[in-house]
Amino acid sequence: MSLAQELHYIGPALALFVGAGVVLFADVLSGRRAPRWGLTLAALAVALAWTFVLAMDGDARGEALSGAVRVDAFSIYFAFLLVGVTLAVVLCAKRWADSIEQGAEFYGLLLISAASMVLLAQGNDLITIFVALETTSIAQFIMAGLARTDRSAEAGLKYLLTGSVAAAVLLYGFAFLFGMAGSTSLPVVAEYVASAPESGRLPLLLAFVFIIGGFGYKMALAPFHAWVPDVYQGAPSIVGSFLSVASKAAGFAVALRVFYTGLGGGDSFMAEDWAIFVAVIAGLSMIFGNTGALLQTNAKRLLGYSSVAQAGNVAVGFAAVAAGSTIGPSGVLFFLGTYAVTNLGAFIAVHVVAERLGTEEIADYAGLSRRSPALAAVLSLCLISLTGIPPTAGFIAKVYIFNAAVQTGHDWLVVLVAVAVVNTAISAFYYLRWVRTMWMDDPVEETRFQPAGAVQVVLLLSGFGVLLFGVWPGPLINAARSAAETLSIL
Amino acid sequence: MAQADALYVDYLPVLLAAIVGFVLVFSALIGSRLLAPFSQEREKGTTYECGMLPLQRASTNFGMRFYLYAILFVVFDVEAVFIFPWALSFMGIGQFAYWSMVVFIGILGLGLGYAWKKGALQWR
Repeated sequence: MSLAQELHYIGPALALFVGAGVVLFADVLSGRRAPRWGLTLAALAVALAWTFVLAMDGDARGEALSGAVRVDAFSIYFAFLLVGVTLAVVLCAKRWADSIEQGAEFYGLLLISAASMVLLAQGNDLITIFVALETTSIAQFIMAGLARTDRSAEAGLKYLLTGSVAAAVLLYGFAFLFGMAGSTSLPVVAEYVASAPESGRLPLLLAFVFIIGGFGYKMALAPFHAWVPDVYQGAPSIVGSFLSVASKAAGFAVALRVFYTGLGGGDSFMAEDWAIFVAVIAGLSMIFGNTGALLQTNAKRLLGYSSVAQAGNVAVGFAAVAAGSTIGPSGVLFFLGTYAVTNLGAFIAVHVVAERLGTEEIADYAGLSRRSPALAAVLSLCLISLTGIPPTAGFIAKVYIFNAAVQTGHDWLVVLVAVAVVNTAISAFYYLRWVRTMWMDDPVEETRFQPAGAVQVVLLLSGFGVLLFGVWPGPLINAARSAAETLSIL
Repeated sequence: MAQADALYVDYLPVLLAAIVGFVLVFSALIGSRLLAPFSQEREKGTTYECGMLPLQRASTNFGMRFYLYAILFVVFDVEAVFIFPWALSFMGIGQFAYWSMVVFIGILGLGLGYAWKKGALQWR
């Protein structure tokens, strides 16, 4: 493969990595602090990365860096999603990044984290995947602790300590796979799994449990979820929005890749064991997430628990994948796409309120509809979508995933979907209570406020996306389908 | 087919070592509990039975600077780990190995330059 081709394939990640270096060195060389540069350079790097992603041929299929990185519709789908989210976060971060001492470091870390996530979605080798996962995690640990408040420091430290344990567990799972297959390359692992003897069942199951533990941590699945509310609440809200959307999407991307390409997906002789395991985790996530969210009064903490519950919803699709559903993978991809749009909108809205009103308490959202109607409208729309009420994207995504699960014809998956539907009803309580606070309650203060121009654009786009994918999901579903198809083909 | 069986057999010594380890440790602990004499004198509770009394807590604050130096040290420690095998197989690989290492050390150098410029090497 030619050098140009390789560069083309790793272009998005490379642009982000180089961008991070440029941001950091521009900061250190410019003598006096110039946070303005940080924003411009970071935005340029992300925009460049996005152009690289867009320039990729949707049908392209190939490997780069001696097979460590794999480019196909699947990785392009996630690269598009991740870089898009990063762009939105960069655009919304200006005010906050200007207010802290390490604004340039924030942009640098954000770009490093995003670059590693793109690599994660492209990873085709256990070592690449692990290194990318660690790089993105370490950047996130620091970002979570950037705010110089006690809560932020606590969030950073908690994230670091629990994240290290999760990484060790994941590595242990990878070691099992390597020990059995004799290679870290996913296609080789897949060959081994396809012809594995019955006696390979126990070590494979162990490997799977450890790997799901490690990735489950990133995806915020119960019982690996305890860090989520604390970190989301303590971390700066703009960092929280990045974590809750990009980090989770990257976690699911890599889990799907390892599971499908490396472990043989639903065709494997152990698929049923895996499916039951994932189904239990999905059920737990939904129950823990929703019951935890019921009594929260802090907006970010509530979104943290809600994020656990939503991860449970995606995991229903994951279980369906393992149970042999053919539309399962595209369901997961579609859900993640709509979830990114929705949760990003909600978290950025919370970020704006935290910045303008200096509060994260849901009670203080009272009368937001009168103080900033557009903001309240977008936030309400996102919350309705998170609940899963038509005509929003969240509804279509849930129907898609639950349909995939039911269609497999397994009784226990039908039970799981029943659990999910009951949980949706529970979640309506806390999401809609928040909406009610915004529209029905009287504000303490009447002063109106508006987010900055770029933030408005991001919020409007997200609100528009929620509605668009709710009434016209076709294009995104098609993209998710063609992305999912490339997963199963080696 | 036999590969996975062989895997278990390979781990048999680990299992044996684990069992022997557990037996040794617990028999020593239980044995000393059963056989050793115990006295409840006040001196038994001090940190050093014979010697100076401790003046303060052992865990004290120390400067964050040490932490920075430790990190920078680890960077170059790891670099050494990579350079030794590289130097051994250098002749066999040639040009490619040379440029790979140049890039690697270049990136590390950039990192050091960044830390230097940031003032991380200054003892304040």
